[in-house]
Amino acid sequence: MAALFNRTNFNRISRIPPAYFVFAVLLIVLWIARPHMLNINIMGIFIRQVVPLGILVLGQMLVIRVNSIDLSGAGVLLLINFYISSSMFPGASLPFFVAISLATGLAVGLFNGYMVGKRRVSAVIVTLAVNIVLVGIVQFLASGKPPGDVPSIFSDIYNTKLWLIPTPVLFWVALALIMSLFLSRFVYGRYVSSVGANPVAALFSGVPVERTVIVAHTIAGLMTALASLVQTASIAVGSVRVGHELPILAVAATILGGVVFGRGEGGVWGPFFGVLSFALLFVVMTTFGIGESGKLITQGLIILLAAIFYGLRTAKSRT
Amino acid sequence: MNRTMKRLLTGKDSRQGRWFFALLIALAIIVWLGLTTERFLTSENLFNLVAQAMPLIITAIGMMLVVLVGGLDLSVGSVISFTTAILALGAPALISIPGVFALAACIGLINGLAVTRLNVHPIIATLSMQFIVLGITRILRPVSGGDVPQIVIDAVAGSFYGIPLPVFWGIVTVLIAWKIIHGSRFGLHLFAIGGGIASGTDEATHNFGVADKQKILLAYVGCSCFAALAGIFLAGRIVSGDPNVGLLFEMDAITAVAIGGTQLSGGVGSLHGTVIGALVMALLANGMNSANISAFVQTAIKGVILLLVVGLQSRKKMGL
Repeated sequence: MAALFNRTNFNRISRIPPAYFVFAVLLIVLWIARPHMLNINIMGIFIRQVVPLGILVLGQMLVIRVNSIDLSGAGVLLLINFYISSSMFPGASLPFFVAISLATGLAVGLFNGYMVGKRRVSAVIVTLAVNIVLVGIVQFLASGKPPGDVPSIFSDIYNTKLWLIPTPVLFWVALALIMSLFLSRFVYGRYVSSVGANPVAALFSGVPVERTVIVAHTIAGLMTALASLVQTASIAVGSVRVGHELPILAVAATILGGVVFGRGEGGVWGPFFGVLSFALLFVVMTTFGIGESGKLITQGLIILLAAIFYGLRTAKSRT
Repeated sequence: MNRTMKRLLTGKDSRQGRWFFALLIALAIIVWLGLTTERFLTSENLFNLVAQAMPLIITAIGMMLVVLVGGLDLSVGSVISFTTAILALGAPALISIPGVFALAACIGLINGLAVTRLNVHPIIATLSMQFIVLGITRILRPVSGGDVPQIVIDAVAGSFYGIPLPVFWGIVTVLIAWKIIHGSRFGLHLFAIGGGIASGTDEATHNFGVADKQKILLAYVGCSCFAALAGIFLAGRIVSGDPNVGLLFEMDAITAVAIGGTQLSGGVGSLHGTVIGALVMALLANGMNSANISAFVQTAIKGVILLLVVGLQSRKKMGL
């Protein structure tokens, strides 16, 4: 028993992202409490709900690995939702909406990246301020009221299925695959690891530190735009309140998935399972009748515990 | 231009930062409002302004304690809401007021322990605390309401020889904060620790024999207690408990601290700068209200100001 807790074993176990444990535990809890929920149709619907979060996490993972953070997702989501649901662009087609959403995400991501990478402003402050500005503008344009309906083509695509799996879930898995390949096959992935681990050492080794950070933020902006399109399709109406908790959930899922601030380590699949854990967590909390406040507390506790877990690990490995 | 003027204007080589700049902005806004709005310079409006600015001044002073040591506390908004919710539970003031401070100190203690002992990044620790406290607040009081002790309401709404009591709240808070920040060894240590962190030598003060972790911990406790004080003041003003009253307060407090010339990387800042920064925010809100600018646009403008102010600061570290 004592051997289980010696340093080598602790280190070995603590290398595995907590997301896998949490996912397994929640799966067992659900299997014992509500066995009939565990079929592919029901789980497909639940996982489909977290697809926007999952796509957001792909970007968040990247910025967190270069020791930054992106909390501007909610503002971008509201803006893109407003584009589509208000009569701002009457009679526009689907490709137009996708293009303008991606352009918005790109612009916001570039701005965040410039402020963080070039101007060296604290990423939390920049992205939160950008978020406040965007939310303020959208609420002013919409005068605080829900703008209108989303064109039906969005929900039509959202509701399709390929074999038994909903299309949005497939889209998410495909994006995760692309991101995983991009980070493992291209030199940019190495840049991300080295900048995250030690920016000073990376700079002296000839890694373009600033550019790496800016590109990470830009990709995060694009991912936010894609996540916003999926989220807008899923709620199918305009809203000025939707998704304000998404960015922070994305941070939580990323930390749960084994990506740590300033360590440069971590992959795509840890955070992927972090998101799946959240999907299961929502199911479990809903079946046990835990309300919004309980969810807030649980989310906070999960972030705190995961961060403490990593804090203890870094403290151990330093001594 | 002599060296003193240069230091005042640019904030270079100064431990107090660019506070003089904030003072000029404040004076400019006062002149502009005094010329354009006729009822701005009435004593009624000015006293009202003080009462409006007071929660932000108190919170910003607390926030400054943790900013000085290179941290941030994103949980102050939730602590404020939490405080109003506890006060509105209807318990007698003799129990509820010390209770509120004790609970806030506990929240600060957890933040501080997580940051100093458990090696969690300040932003992550306080962000998760923001969620936890907000969740508890919404369980205690889902919608605004409840009974705030009469003594709290009297302490905010009353006046003494024609001068409204919020003015005295301000004087007492500033005196206490002055003693903590500029008049004690603790305050001096905060500057030293933050200066070390800002220049990348985290261990410097520790090697000189300062109990740095303990001081950082106390800074977080202090920050939460100041937030609780702001919460008590707000509870007296809105005469109820409200789970949303502290929403986005942490952003306003950070903006105020940053406008006041405090470097967010730590080690540089001043109490008068922070008070002036909070006053600038209140003056802007007052001016925008009298110019009938929509509340949503006001939020956006505050965000732009925050971006401008922190964009002008320079620091070595990149990222968080």
